[in-house]
Amino acid sequence: MIVYLRSGGKLHELLKPDVDQYTRRVETDEGATLVEILGELGIPLAMVAFAFVAGKVQKLGYVPSEGDVITIQSPVAGG
Amino acid sequence: MKIRVAKENCTGCKLCMQICAIQHYDEINPKKAAIHIDAEFPDPGVYTPKLCVQCGKCMEACPVNAISLVGDAYVIDPETCTDCGICVEVCPFGVMFVHADAPTPIMCDLCMKCTEVCNTGALTVVE
Amino acid sequence: MNGFGGTIVRINLETGGIKRTPTPEKFAREWMGARGFVAKTIYDEVPRDADPLGPENILIMAPGVLTGTFAPAGSKIGFGCISPATNGHADSNMGGHLGAEMKYAGYDMVVFERISPEPVYLYIDDDTIELRSASDYWGMGSLDLEKRMKDDLGEDFQIATIGPAGENGVVFSCITHDFGRQAGRCGVGAVMGSKKLKAIAIRGSKSLPVHDLPTLTKSTCDIIQRTKTHPLMEPWQKYGTALFVGWSNDHGCFPSRNFQTTYHEGWEGISGEKLAEEILVTHKACFGCWINCGKYSRAHIPGKPDVYVEGPEYETIALCGGSCGMTNIHDVAYANYLCDNLGLDTMSGGNTIGFAMECYEKGIITKDDLEGHELRWGNIDDFENIIRMIADRRGIGEVLSYGTKGAAERLGQGTLAFAHQAKGMEFSGYDTRWYSAQLLSYCTSDIGAHHNRSWAITADIQIGQDTPEGKAEVVIYLQHIRPLFDTWCCCRLFWGEVDVTAEEHVDTIRYITGWDVTLEECMKISEKIWNLTRSHYLERNGGPGRRFDVAPARQLEEKVPSGPAEGHRVGIENFEYMLDDYYYNRGWDKNGNPTREVLEILGIPYVADNLEKAGLLGEPFEDGVPEVRGRRLKPKAM
Ligand code: SF4
Ligand code: SF4
Ligand code: SF4
Repeated sequence: MIVYLRSGGKLHELLKPDVDQYTRRVETDEGATLVEILGELGIPLAMVAFAFVAGKVQKLGYVPSEGDVITIQSPVAGG
Repeated sequence: MKIRVAKENCTGCKLCMQICAIQHYDEINPKKAAIHIDAEFPDPGVYTPKLCVQCGKCMEACPVNAISLVGDAYVIDPETCTDCGICVEVCPFGVMFVHADAPTPIMCDLCMKCTEVCNTGALTVVE
Repeated sequence: MNGFGGTIVRINLETGGIKRTPTPEKFAREWMGARGFVAKTIYDEVPRDADPLGPENILIMAPGVLTGTFAPAGSKIGFGCISPATNGHADSNMGGHLGAEMKYAGYDMVVFERISPEPVYLYIDDDTIELRSASDYWGMGSLDLEKRMKDDLGEDFQIATIGPAGENGVVFSCITHDFGRQAGRCGVGAVMGSKKLKAIAIRGSKSLPVHDLPTLTKSTCDIIQRTKTHPLMEPWQKYGTALFVGWSNDHGCFPSRNFQTTYHEGWEGISGEKLAEEILVTHKACFGCWINCGKYSRAHIPGKPDVYVEGPEYETIALCGGSCGMTNIHDVAYANYLCDNLGLDTMSGGNTIGFAMECYEKGIITKDDLEGHELRWGNIDDFENIIRMIADRRGIGEVLSYGTKGAAERLGQGTLAFAHQAKGMEFSGYDTRWYSAQLLSYCTSDIGAHHNRSWAITADIQIGQDTPEGKAEVVIYLQHIRPLFDTWCCCRLFWGEVDVTAEEHVDTIRYITGWDVTLEECMKISEKIWNLTRSHYLERNGGPGRRFDVAPARQLEEKVPSGPAEGHRVGIENFEYMLDDYYYNRGWDKNGNPTREVLEILGIPYVADNLEKAGLLGEPFEDGVPEVRGRRLKPKAM
C-alpha cells in the first residue's frame, strides 16, 4: 500500500521528499507501524517527536492505512 | 467577488491590516488599513475582522457624490471627496475608517490582498 | 532612519522629567535592538553596586529592528534591567502588539530612571508622553488592570501592566501584555514595581520608514505562501507549544514533581491535545504572525469562578503542571491565570512552588508555615494558597518570593540540592540529566537557566545523550543564534519550525534598513552582547566566572528514578569537562573569565579595560585565542 510522509526542518533531509518539496511517497506493507516504516527509511526514531494524521496527533505505534498523509515532526523548543 | 469573514478563525495577527496599508498607501502603518480587528478580551476572547460589507449607505449619504460602485466595490474618488466625514457617521457597521494623514476616509475596495496573507481561513474570497 | 522609530526617550520618574533624543544610527547598527540596546545601555549606565530594586537601577523597554515592520512575526519587544533574581544583566522578551505600537508612535527605546514618589503609569499617544497617576490602579491584578485601562483609554491602546507581586518585589515578577503575553523572566516586573511604575499604555499612528518596501513586501508574501503548506504549520496552529508535552515525557526530559523524575504519570491529562479538546477558546497570534502558537483558554473548576487565560503553553504545563504534580488541564490553566493576574512568571513561579511542595513533602515546610493549609502535589487549592502568600510576601511566601535559590539559602537543610536554578533563575521546563548540553546551556547562561538562550535537547540526541564531548561548541552556537531573534525582535519559531532561514531574516533586515548587513555580522553582534553581559555579571558579582556556572546537585548526582531516562545523570566529571571545553571554545580562560583578545575582536576593548581594573580579566592564551572560534558560525553537529 502507499502512504505519504511529510516533513520539514531537520527531518526533511532524512526523508528525501520526492512528491513535492515536503512529501515522500512510501510503499509499505499493510499493518506496518510507523516505527517500522521510519526504520526502513533510516530515520532515527529519537528525531521524531510524533506524527500528525488527518488533524490528530498519533504516537509512533500508529498503523497507517492506504493513502494516509502523515506529517512527522522533530522536537522543538517552546516559548 | 466578495470577502467571506469567518471571525472564529481570526487570531488577531493584523497581517491583513499591514498588507492593506502597504497596498493602498505604500506605507507600513496598519492604522491606515480598510480592515480593523476588534478584540474582545478577556471575556469572551473573540477577534472580529471588520471591513466594508458593500451595503452602499455611504454612497447615498455622500453630499458631493464622491462614492460610486466600481465593479463589486464602492470606492471613494479622492478628487471629489471633501473629507467631510458624513460617510463615516452613517456607516452602519463602523467600517469607514479615518486616519489623520489620509486624505479621505478609508474603505475596502476589494483588492483581495488581505485574503492572500491571512493564513487562518478568517478571510476568504467568494464569487 | 529606515526601520526605526527614530527617538529614544528618557524618563526620570523621580522628577517627572522627560527627555527625547534621536536614535543614533551607529548605535542601532551596532546593537540592532531590544537585547542589544538593553545590554549596552545597562552596562554603560548602572553603577556596579546599584541595588536591583533601588533607585540606581534602570528599566528599559525597547523593540528591535524588525518590530512592527512587515517582516515575518516582527512582534517582539525587550525589557531589561539588573535582575533582582540573579544580580546580573536581565533581559526578557515578549510578543503581542506593544512593540509594534511603540515603533508606530516613533520610539526605539524608553529608559526609566529613578523611583517615582507616587504610583504612575506611562501614557504615550504618538508625540504626547505623560506620566499619569496610577493610584487608582495600584494593587490591581495584571489582567484586570489591562481590561480597566482599555475601558478608560480606548481599545486601540496597547497596554503592559504589573500585578501585586511586582509591586511587592517578588523577584520572579513579570510584565504582562495582551491578556497573556509576558516579559516573564529575570524579575523585570519587580524592577518595574520598585519604580512605582504600574503600567505602560501606548498608541501610535505613524508610518514606519523602510528602505525598500516593494522587495520587503514581496519577500514576506512569498514566505507566507511557501510556509502555508509547510507540514508543520497545521500542528503548530492547532496546538502551539503544548504539542510537545507528550514528546518530552517520552524522552525523559519533562519535569515531574520538582524534577524528582522526568516522566510525569498522568501527563495525558495536561497535554496539548487535552488543551485543544477541553479548554480552547480561540487561537491567538502576536503581531504579524501566521503560526499563532497562542492558545486562549477558559478553565472551569467546580467551586471556583471560570477564568480566561492565554495558555497554558509548554513551559507553563511543564512547571506549573508537571513540576507541581498536576494532571488536569483545567488546574494548569487556572494556575496559569493565577500567575498571570498576580503578575508572576509561570516558569519560575511553577518551579518555585514545585520546590516548596517538595519541602512540604520532606517536612521542611509545614502547615504552620502555610497558615493552616497544606501544600500537596497536584492540589490546586493548595497551589492557590501558596501563590497568594508569595505575591503578598506573607509568612513562608516571603521566603519563597526570592525564588528557589534565595529560599534554599534561607531554609537551609540541604534544600539547595533540589533548587532547580542557575545563578538564581529557575530552570525552564526540561530536566537535563539525560541531556548534558542542555545542562551546560542553563548553567553558562548570562541570565540564568532560561531556554531562550540555548535549547539543546535535539542536539543532545544527535550527538549522543550521555557523552560530554562536542557539546560546548553546539551550546555556544545556540547561545548566539537563538538570542539573536530577541535582538532583531522577530519570533524564533519561523526559523525553528517552518524553515525560514536565518539568512532570510537578515535579507529582511537589509530591505528594511538598507544596511549591507550579513548573518556573520549579526552573529558577531550576538557574541559581543554575550561577552558584554558575562563581563557585566562578573563586574557586579566578582570572580572567577567559573564559581557561578554551577549546576543543581540533583542534576549532577541523583540518577533519574523512573521513566525513559531512568538511571541517567550528568555527573560532576562530565560537567567539569564540558565547562573546560566551553570556556576554551569561547576564548575565555580556565576560570571562565573573558580575555582581552576576544573582547577586542568583538570591538569592545573598553570592557577588557574595566575587567582588568577589577582584576577579572582572563589570563591570555599563550598562542593567541584558540582557533575553534573561527568555526563559531555553525558547528558540524548542527
Ligand atoms: S490576517 Fe486573518 S487571522 Fe490575521 S488578523 Fe487578519 S483576519 Fe485575522
Ligand atoms: S480587500 Fe483590499 S482594501 Fe479590502 S480590506 Fe482587504 S486589503 Fe484592504
Ligand atoms: S509563533 Fe507564537 S510566539 Fe511566535 S509570533 Fe507567533 S504567536 Fe507569537
